[in-house]
Amino acid sequence: MRALCWEGVGKLAVRDVPEPRIRAEGDIIVKVRASSVCGSDLHLINGYLPAMREGDILGHEFTGEVVETGPGVQRLRVGDRVVVGSVVACGGCWYCRTEQFSLCDNSNAQPVLTEKLWGHAPAGILGYSHAAGGYSGSHAEYIRVPFGDVGAFPVPDGVPDDAVVFASDALPTGWMAADFCGLKGGEVVAVWGAGGVGQMAARSAQILGAERVIVIDRLPQRLATAAARLGVETINYADTDVLEALREMTAGRGPDACIEAVGMEAHDVGPGYAYDRVKQSARLTLDRPTSVRQAIMACRKGGTVSIVGVYAGLVDKFPLGAAMNKALVLRMGQMHAQRYIPMLLDRLAAGEIDPGYLATHPLALEDGVRGYELFEKKRDGCLRSVLHPVR
Amino acid sequence: MTSNATRWALLGATTATALGVGATVARRRRRHQPDRRDGWYVVRRGITVDRPMDALVGFWTDRERLDRALAGWATLEQLDDNRWRCVARDRAGRTGWRAEITVTGPRRLSWRVEAGPVPQQGRVDLVPAPRDRGTEIRVELRYRFGGPVRRALGLVRGAEPDQGLRDALRRIKSLIECGQVIDTRRDPSGRDQRQEAATDRLRERLTTGGRA
Ligand SMILES: NC(=O)c1ccc[n+]([C@@H]2O[C@H](COP(=O)([O-])OP(=O)(O)OC[C@H]3O[C@@H](n4cnc5c(N)ncnc54)[C@H](O)[C@@H]3O)[C@@H](O)[C@H]2O)c1
Ligand SMILES: [Zn+2]
Ligand SMILES: [Zn+2]
Repeated sequence: MRALCWEGVGKLAVRDVPEPRIRAEGDIIVKVRASSVCGSDLHLINGYLPAMREGDILGHEFTGEVVETGPGVQRLRVGDRVVVGSVVACGGCWYCRTEQFSLCDNSNAQPVLTEKLWGHAPAGILGYSHAAGGYSGSHAEYIRVPFGDVGAFPVPDGVPDDAVVFASDALPTGWMAADFCGLKGGEVVAVWGAGGVGQMAARSAQILGAERVIVIDRLPQRLATAAARLGVETINYADTDVLEALREMTAGRGPDACIEAVGMEAHDVGPGYAYDRVKQSARLTLDRPTSVRQAIMACRKGGTVSIVGVYAGLVDKFPLGAAMNKALVLRMGQMHAQRYIPMLLDRLAAGEIDPGYLATHPLALEDGVRGYELFEKKRDGCLRSVLHPVR
Repeated sequence: MTSNATRWALLGATTATALGVGATVARRRRRHQPDRRDGWYVVRRGITVDRPMDALVGFWTDRERLDRALAGWATLEQLDDNRWRCVARDRAGRTGWRAEITVTGPRRLSWRVEAGPVPQQGRVDLVPAPRDRGTEIRVELRYRFGGPVRRALGLVRGAEPDQGLRDALRRIKSLIECGQVIDTRRDPSGRDQRQEAATDRLRERLTTGGRA
């Protein structure tokens, strides 16, 4: 089959690769119909998250059709149209039982690297490097999904591929970011980053009761899209002092909750990916947390800072004093896909959320390299490229 | 195979066997030396399994699961009410390891290697975890290397049984909690054979062992 592979830092290529096979009782094989690029992939492609290997298949946000099921699969049938959460969860550990799926104890096949880096290994993630289990990704014609009953969800009729694909990752991530804010109604929420994740966080905050949502980015087109689609206010940080603007917009209070959906976009150095370089890389400043710093400084006293942008290592000049003395609540994490997806699919079916507009660039899988170029350079108004192996 | 002691012995056998056999195939490196006591290296490791104690003990009555846990490496033979003999082969199929397992209490058993590459003895305790967290499997493992030369060698390779132990505990937990030990080894990729072999070596390092 054809698949989009990582070929080295900054290098991608569409190649012929073997097809996946059922390996365990709970596995399913999904024929991919749509597979989106994600901001997280950029961190991998550019070598900022360790442990990519030449030939790894990228992609973790996708929808498709079940074409084969392992003997232990009960909930799904061949022919089902499904959306699959990016995070792999076993369904049987304490974390899964308490719906903290991205912390699953058993789904990272290769836990040693993150145990060393972070003290414990979180869940595996499909198509997300050898630090997250070494799973093959979804930018391919077929993908093996372990624990299919836990991670794949039937798609409601009438929701198109290019919308439901975001129920795999961008939408549950945005929802979790808003969920973390503990909104009770009437709050002002600021969102850093107008990418797919930030826009879904903004929409989710509205649904969960925020009275005003303010989205911050430097790309005028993304800000304009967010304003037009969601009715949010915007700040362009390229020409505006964000802290000043937020204070002004909230009459001095600052936003009640600040969502960070940017991640380690701007970094200083790329660490090596190999296991034996972990120590060395852990000493480097991996991430440049510009927007986290800003969110902490902007947040009102006693407010919540919710971080869903991805960070991997140590950060520099973290304003711990501001967070401590303003008594902020900090929430963060990889999203618990399986907790949110069924509820979000209902909302998609009801038309309450329509993430379809994020798919600005539907492309053939063969054009995957260009898809990433458009997405990374934010060219041609690209919010998300969505790859289609079958057309 | 129904008595509790039997089930218990199976759990111990799995731990001990995965350990004993694991140790003969493992290539590991280490940073810290384990504790020494009375000429033995002593390591203690524990893992929390999200199941009540009965479920944990009962799990091993399922012969199929047991075989999967032992990966066809070992056979178990009952000697008397409380004693078992476990004979294991390494992956190359040679008989490499024989241990006696003794059930010493409702929640405790011990094993002693009678023949094998590394003299080894150990103890498994089951302890209820606080709140609703299930059961802790706590293992104390003692091993040593005979003779001055072996001891010198042991200083270099001293971590092997410890790494094997962590690996075995992780496998057991995963089998009990979700019925499999996840493996991504043969997932598709764009690698050629040589690259795949190199990647498998990395996978091996990232899969076995545990915290530094
Ligand atoms: N927690 C999770 O489970 C999870 C899941 C998916 C994605 N993510 C992460 O979310 C982040 C966003 O993903 P995406 O797909 O939307 O990426 P994206 O690259 O499309 O969007 C990031 C946006 O942030 C903007 N930005 C950069 N620096 C900024 C700053 N200082 N202030 C404000 N905005 C700034 C960029 O212009 C861009 O529009 C990434 O870090 C990704 O890894 C996390
Ligand atoms: Zn993602
Ligand atoms: Zn789990």
